[in-house]
Amino acid sequence: MRASRFAITAMFSALCSARAAVPANPAEFFEMKVRPVLADKCLGCHAGGKMGGLQLDTREHALAGGKSGPAIVAGDPDKSLLIQAIRQTHATLKMPPGGKLPDEQVNDIANWIKGGAVWPAGPAKPVQYTISQEQRNFWSFKPVANPAVPKVKNTKWALNDIDRFILAKLEEKGLTPAKPADRRTLIRRAYFDLTGLPPAPEQVDAFLADKSPNAFEKVLDTLLASPRYGERWGRFWLDIARYSDDKLNSTMEEPHPNAFRYRDWVINAFNSDMPYNTFAKAQIAGDLMPEKEKYQAGTGFYALSPEFQDDRVDATTRGFLALTVACAQCHNHKFDPIPQVDYYSMLGIFENSKMNEVPLAPKEVVDAYKKQQERMNAKRGEITEFVKQQSEQLADILSRRTASYLLAAAGDEPRGTLDQETLDKWKNYLKNPEKDHPYLKAWFAAKTPEDRRKAANEFQETLLAVNKEKKTVDDKNHIKLGLNPNRGDLSQADLVSLSRDKHVLWENIFGDRGVLHYGDGKVDRFLLGQWKENLELLRAELKGIEKDKLPEYPFLQAISDKPTLGKQKVWIRGDRGNQGELAPPRFLAILSPGEQKPFTHGSGRLELAEAMVSETNPLTPRVIVNRIWQHHFGQGIVRTPSNFGLQGDRPANPELLDYLATQFMQGGWSIKKLTRNIMLSAAYQESAETNEKGLNLDPENRFNWHYNRQRLDAEELRDAVLFLSGKLDLNTGGKAEKISDANVRRTVYCFVSRRKLDPALALFDFPNPNNTAEQRLATNVPLQRLFFMNNPWILSQAKGIALRVSTLGKTDEERLEQAYRIFYQRKPTVEEKKLGLEYVQHAGMTAWPLYMQVLLEANEFEFVD
Amino acid sequence: MTRRDCLKTAGTGFGMTALAQMLGAAANNTPPAGPLTPKAPHFAPKAKHVIFIFLNGGPSQVDTFDPKPLLTKYNGQPAPGGNVKTERKTGNLLRSPFEFKKYGKSGLEFSEIFSRLGGHADECCVIRSMFTERPNHEPSLLLMNSGDKLPGRPSMGSWLTYGLGSENQNLPGFVVLCPGFPVVGPQLWASTFLPAVYQGTYIPNNEKTPDKLVQYVRNPELKLPEQRTQLDLLSKLNQLHLARTGHDNELEAAIQSAEIAYRMQSEAPEVFDISKEPEKIRARYGDTNIGRGCLMALRLIEKGVRMVQIYHGDGQPWDSHDDIMAHKKLGNEADMGVSSLLEDLKLRGLLNDTLVILGGEFGRTPAVEVSGLVKVQNGRDHNSAGFSYVLAGGGVKGGYVHGATDDFGFKSVEKPVHVHDLHATILHLMGMDHTKLTYRYSGRDFRLTDVAGNVVHEIVA
Repeated sequence: MRASRFAITAMFSALCSARAAVPANPAEFFEMKVRPVLADKCLGCHAGGKMGGLQLDTREHALAGGKSGPAIVAGDPDKSLLIQAIRQTHATLKMPPGGKLPDEQVNDIANWIKGGAVWPAGPAKPVQYTISQEQRNFWSFKPVANPAVPKVKNTKWALNDIDRFILAKLEEKGLTPAKPADRRTLIRRAYFDLTGLPPAPEQVDAFLADKSPNAFEKVLDTLLASPRYGERWGRFWLDIARYSDDKLNSTMEEPHPNAFRYRDWVINAFNSDMPYNTFAKAQIAGDLMPEKEKYQAGTGFYALSPEFQDDRVDATTRGFLALTVACAQCHNHKFDPIPQVDYYSMLGIFENSKMNEVPLAPKEVVDAYKKQQERMNAKRGEITEFVKQQSEQLADILSRRTASYLLAAAGDEPRGTLDQETLDKWKNYLKNPEKDHPYLKAWFAAKTPEDRRKAANEFQETLLAVNKEKKTVDDKNHIKLGLNPNRGDLSQADLVSLSRDKHVLWENIFGDRGVLHYGDGKVDRFLLGQWKENLELLRAELKGIEKDKLPEYPFLQAISDKPTLGKQKVWIRGDRGNQGELAPPRFLAILSPGEQKPFTHGSGRLELAEAMVSETNPLTPRVIVNRIWQHHFGQGIVRTPSNFGLQGDRPANPELLDYLATQFMQGGWSIKKLTRNIMLSAAYQESAETNEKGLNLDPENRFNWHYNRQRLDAEELRDAVLFLSGKLDLNTGGKAEKISDANVRRTVYCFVSRRKLDPALALFDFPNPNNTAEQRLATNVPLQRLFFMNNPWILSQAKGIALRVSTLGKTDEERLEQAYRIFYQRKPTVEEKKLGLEYVQHAGMTAWPLYMQVLLEANEFEFVD
Repeated sequence: MTRRDCLKTAGTGFGMTALAQMLGAAANNTPPAGPLTPKAPHFAPKAKHVIFIFLNGGPSQVDTFDPKPLLTKYNGQPAPGGNVKTERKTGNLLRSPFEFKKYGKSGLEFSEIFSRLGGHADECCVIRSMFTERPNHEPSLLLMNSGDKLPGRPSMGSWLTYGLGSENQNLPGFVVLCPGFPVVGPQLWASTFLPAVYQGTYIPNNEKTPDKLVQYVRNPELKLPEQRTQLDLLSKLNQLHLARTGHDNELEAAIQSAEIAYRMQSEAPEVFDISKEPEKIRARYGDTNIGRGCLMALRLIEKGVRMVQIYHGDGQPWDSHDDIMAHKKLGNEADMGVSSLLEDLKLRGLLNDTLVILGGEFGRTPAVEVSGLVKVQNGRDHNSAGFSYVLAGGGVKGGYVHGATDDFGFKSVEKPVHVHDLHATILHLMGMDHTKLTYRYSGRDFRLTDVAGNVVHEIVA
């Protein structure tokens, strides 16, 4: 790599500043210590706002001061009004209004004034940002090497070159590889690993019977060709893409009914072994690639993301590059060579992109659907309007007999022609005198029919007056709103209303749940003649439109460039209101060979995507190779798979990582080839057995001296249980349904909610889709055991398995042996058989389902060796 | 051993010694090491448990804990300094319809809707100078519960149980009681990148039968002795498996978990069953969701649960945009629950160890809301610039008012306390340095207070 030093402009911030009491470099001190405080605490009122006539945006303005005089006296903090105000020693000026500044900040500002109040002009003085040679030499930024395959002492163990890299390390550390796993362990491992499901007994038998040297290879080829493979491995990518089938809407569910098209695209990409460079590129800029119909769905990576642009930068850089660029939002990255401007260069690319709904149906279909929706809405509007008018008129009419209703309710007068239902509603309303009834005090106090008559009449008068006033209020608001009740900015509209007590009265009597309100359906019985016919006609018309209801057309949730592009600037200290220098769209400095060149096409997304997968970018191949390795072995060569920066882990075997990355790129970025290579290694085929010596030398198994036993993850557990009970539905793709007893599809096809993650998935550490997730945790908590012990779904699956097993043998012993075959792919030991038989023979009628439940709960089922 | 190491060895597994301990544990009842095993705090704590009563929706400070005589005086007039800009349009000043009174020796002032809490005035510390960053529910709920305006950070309860474990291994360490769901939902008690064991266990406390409260706590078909027989078989098979594989932390931990789970089945329903409390006590709390929640919290804390959070109701009950009179019923419900809780915590000798926190995601404007979204102008808009929090028990200075808002109650002006400061102080009271309670994720040390937060030492007794 060219060792050029090149400068880029950047801002220092308070966060990465040194603590200097006396400003040695006054301009820098101002930028670091003073300007941020002014921006944060003062400029809200003392910039354009000029509160008290004072502007604190330039030195000149500060020296000129406001109504109380100059704010600063250069060189003399004690005489400076600004200092008196922020020290709060001034008689009247005590600033800022939110509370006194910390002493440190007050002292900084005083020291700055003492030092002459140096205030560089311009929005911010650019400070040269230089990437040092040392930073460039950090392991992850160095070009991917093509290391020579090392020589090893033990020449028998290695099955391929991966093993030679591993063995060299083991020999160097004095470690010995574990013996190979037995074949039934190996086939169980491979099945769960590649498909997320256990092998069926026949598949195990076939493998055990196949004595050819490439028997395992044949198994791998079958599994890699199976649609189950993409369902398993695509899901790991969805962890990174923080995939969900809904939006994090805080008050109600808001599903994305077309989200599954991205999920299916990812699964298909894995199944068809789409080269990873294309896969990555399509997600960033599929809409801008040739053959966009093949790739556009990939942009669901962004279209389905939480709608925060900073999340996009974060997910992009952590997901593809394992860099935490989002940490450079407020200041230059504290550890890695990422200047703040780089964050904004990338942010600008996403700020210039927008959500794009791409219909997957012919234009006529889309138009027909939209037209029908419009007609339906229009007709519904007509009905609503007509019903509303009738309801209001009816309430007005009924309200004119309020006194009679009250007196009839009290039993003072007969019902006569009063409406029975309305009378009952009045009675109900009057039942509780303790309720908020300020206008009925006289009525409740009245003791005689005469007093009641008087009170009833007065109440009726009040009610009619309030109803009239309400209409006046509504008219005024109507005018204020410009006769458009559906304005978008109602929250900022300044309207009038009834007083509180009058409003409560009006709501109680005329409101939607009021005594006199008869809405849609209820008002019908009061309508006669033409009115009745009109309502019936309107409803019939609506039915007519709805009769041939068109299904909503399918569409992709994608992104595209905005038609007019904005210019992104740095937001000083991450504050959108405080804009600094321009941040042109371009790739990260540390990954750009030579000078950073601005992107010139549209938002720059396609150029970004190309830079991401360029052969000169060492991170993209290393990061994906490490992720794949991690899922095969339970831990990565780098154990912080989304952070290859200074704060991240260092590779346990850097040569192996680079060897894999090189092979990967030379093999056309094929994940399947990589996987095949990994699984054909002796390292992958080691047993999970450990020994004292190994545990002492390498307790965390960083050098792969044995295989890591792994707990099944949430999807594997659910899918395997359904697989054993014979209920698993293996249909692929399509709309996501929530997990339920009736839903027996693979978990990858079930609804993933950002708002309310399925509790059982969450219990078994399914990643929270609000974050890009780098790895699966495997916690072990009693609530998980309760799930297996008591969840009705588990109980019913155990019954299903028992039923299936009952058909597999004639005697308990035969059934038991079959159960061990389907659960554990082996024969039971003598002791296991004895325990099992004792249990089923003594535990009574329900013994078999209970026994099957035990086999499900057992460690041997939940862990893969 | 760092917390992280402890988690690695204990969280997902534990050694043979621990297994031996566990097998002995059945006899002497000492819990073995697990992810929720009590961990030593950084320094001597003032409190060991937290009950956080969350008045979701945003209670109005000027109608509860922050009396403003000038607001009454200038009722109906424009605020002299103008209104603080909030989410929606507000108009003239609106006095509180509720009367304030002084209570206790300290003379702390509470409005009539918290008159019962007045009986505990000398145990309460009222922070009147709280402020947060946005006048919108979602970011403020997230900030108050997880220290960040955006989703993705672990909740305070998750941090507390991660840092301190819990005293009862047969119950979850962090319990969340809510009838329905608050706005934003389970994200508010998520452990996100902390292990799942630290996520809040959600209990829909509008359910009245204990079996429905805790998920999967009862087997619908088996009696306990039958289940014991079944688990004995499981245990034997697991031991045979372990003998074949050799020592393995994770396998051993799973064996232990099953035993704990078995014991939880007896303990958990019992503790949530408030019918075990005498009728007289239940009546004091009130037959409301928050009343039942407070009583459950008492019972959970008695059993050693680290943190209980009670949401007042489904959605956002305290969001009184239209009519501030809605605060009356809500206040009375909360008042009955909280005051009874304080009383019983004291009676049972738990108040010294338990930090009780009362507040919402933000406060409300002293000015009336006039936006086109309200039907009647007798309510208040959200206000993030100033609001009140009440703290009681666990090492808090009683009968003390900290900070102040301006004359009308818009803005926190004296000794302002940011949400990060509140979090730092809560952790401090629990014996933890908020800058040291960290978790390394994706190569960065995260903490509840992010890069901010100052302990408010003045409220510490």
